[in-house]
Amino acid sequence: MDKKSQNIEERVQYLKEKAKEVRKNIIDMIFTAQSGHPGGALSAADVMTALYFDILKIDPKNPRWPDRDRFILSKGHACPVWYSCLAMRGYFPMKELKTLRKFESILQGHPDMLKTPGVDITTGSLGHGLSLGVGMALEGKLVKKNYHIYVILGDGEINEGQIWEAAASASKYELDNLIAIVDKNKLQMDGLTNKVMPMDPIDEKFKAFNWHVITINGHNMKAILIALEKAKKIKSKPVCIIANTVKGKGVSFMENIREWHGKAPNKQEYKKAIREIEGSNNEVK
Amino acid sequence: MKLSKADIATRQAFSERMLEYGAIDKDFVVFEADIGYSTFSYLFGDAYPERYFNMGIAESNTMAAAAGMAADGRTVIVCSYGVFITMRAFEAMRTFICYPNLNVKFLSSHGGVTPAIDGVTHQATEDIGITTLLPNMKVLVPADTEAAKKMFDVAVKTPGPVFVRLMRDPLFNIYSKEDTFELKGSKIIREGKDVTVVTYGDIVFQALEAADELEKENVSIEIIDMYSIKPFDKKNLLNSISKTEALLVVEDHQKRNGLGYELSNFCIKNKPVIFDNLGLNDTFAESGNYYKVIDKYGISKKHILNKTKELVSKKRK
Repeated sequence: MDKKSQNIEERVQYLKEKAKEVRKNIIDMIFTAQSGHPGGALSAADVMTALYFDILKIDPKNPRWPDRDRFILSKGHACPVWYSCLAMRGYFPMKELKTLRKFESILQGHPDMLKTPGVDITTGSLGHGLSLGVGMALEGKLVKKNYHIYVILGDGEINEGQIWEAAASASKYELDNLIAIVDKNKLQMDGLTNKVMPMDPIDEKFKAFNWHVITINGHNMKAILIALEKAKKIKSKPVCIIANTVKGKGVSFMENIREWHGKAPNKQEYKKAIREIEGSNNEVK
Repeated sequence: MKLSKADIATRQAFSERMLEYGAIDKDFVVFEADIGYSTFSYLFGDAYPERYFNMGIAESNTMAAAAGMAADGRTVIVCSYGVFITMRAFEAMRTFICYPNLNVKFLSSHGGVTPAIDGVTHQATEDIGITTLLPNMKVLVPADTEAAKKMFDVAVKTPGPVFVRLMRDPLFNIYSKEDTFELKGSKIIREGKDVTVVTYGDIVFQALEAADELEKENVSIEIIDMYSIKPFDKKNLLNSISKTEALLVVEDHQKRNGLGYELSNFCIKNKPVIFDNLGLNDTFAESGNYYKVIDKYGISKKHILNKTKELVSKKRK
């Protein structure tokens, strides 16, 4: 869509509808595969929708276009949300979504740059994605191109010490082409993030590493757009957007429930989830 | 065979060639993790600061950032010590470089017990086992400075990840300017008929010294410098063991999962011969003079000599 011709309210309305489709696809894929991680995919769905249907400078017909913005799903287990966006943008046929995690599928259990069109780099092992982003951002600076690198991190993932090695190196090289988004859904596999390994205050930590930090409601589409556009304008510092989200967002019985980190819905749950997503007006609660 | 002492170590020779090559190939970049004055990568960094990234004492981040920079096809050279590059940063090496088969080359100094005086923390005696285990990875070990310089070119011209094990200290000059090296190559540096001795890196010199003494006892060994560990040169190996019917593999590495294990497996499948191997025998080494350490841990000239005689007497039975 041509966003210049539309005001922000129109863009927000369009993205809210897209986000519903993205969420339906997530549930559908994980139900079909009977395996996957719905909680963290749903929490990141609004930010991902904003990126893939508004912000990112990409060309699905030319996935390796040298001038494209790069995207890294550092919390790789949430890949159904990414695959959904990629299919909807036409990187591969929608029917491929039914093959998630299946034998010889282009959609591996975790993102694979050699198998999936649109996947810029392989991820899945937590804590490495910000470093990968630092490397890509250094490449962007070296070739003097003005694309951006977007990295989605989990708030559990930032337990990994390597995240902070990457944070230090990004500010050393003043990587203002690097934008990290922490999907702060407050749950990790074994429970509440502030119980398993407290990391708050996350904003102060990134600030201490000399990053520019923006905190938003990660389900408020307007706030997401404003934050992402502001992030692109920040000079000589990497940017961290802390997106406060709800794990399992959009499916009432999955929201804030630890068990839905990595579990597939049964038939009844599937139907209920789809009904809820279709019926929702996606307003921020 | 009298060999001249080398002026510099293979780590320095490799980095000197990296500096030269920087003018030939303007595209590759170098990542360092704060031991640039030891790996000698600073030579490149001083000449090409815009292509040199010192990521500090943070090998995992260095490795994954190298992957990020290589994601669109650029050649990246990562410099560190063997222990840190293969162990601290192993997962990033496996999952983000070898799995997507990116063009990352590893300058891995302090291979084997060559940093003997530094002690076990800095002795990479498991690096060959670790790196050869990885799909898509190729592994090279130059035995001298001439080989190290030429293997830089081999590494950057070979697609995908290439690991190059280098030494801390200067040893001896084995090759001349005319010698050439290639992936899957090896060098028969001494011909013989009784036992084939396969080795690589710093131990090549020990094998040469042993050969001189064995000659006095009318035992002749054929020495193969298996500098390309993965893939290795099956042709030279098969020809040689078909002639000698006995193989001794000697390496500055754990016996387990080293080249000896690989070649014994190869022989069982293709050409069973009398076989033995020398290496660290499920043990760590210790600090001290390099020559004393290799002697105590069973990989010096003396051990090659004794083991060879043992194999010869087995052959005669």
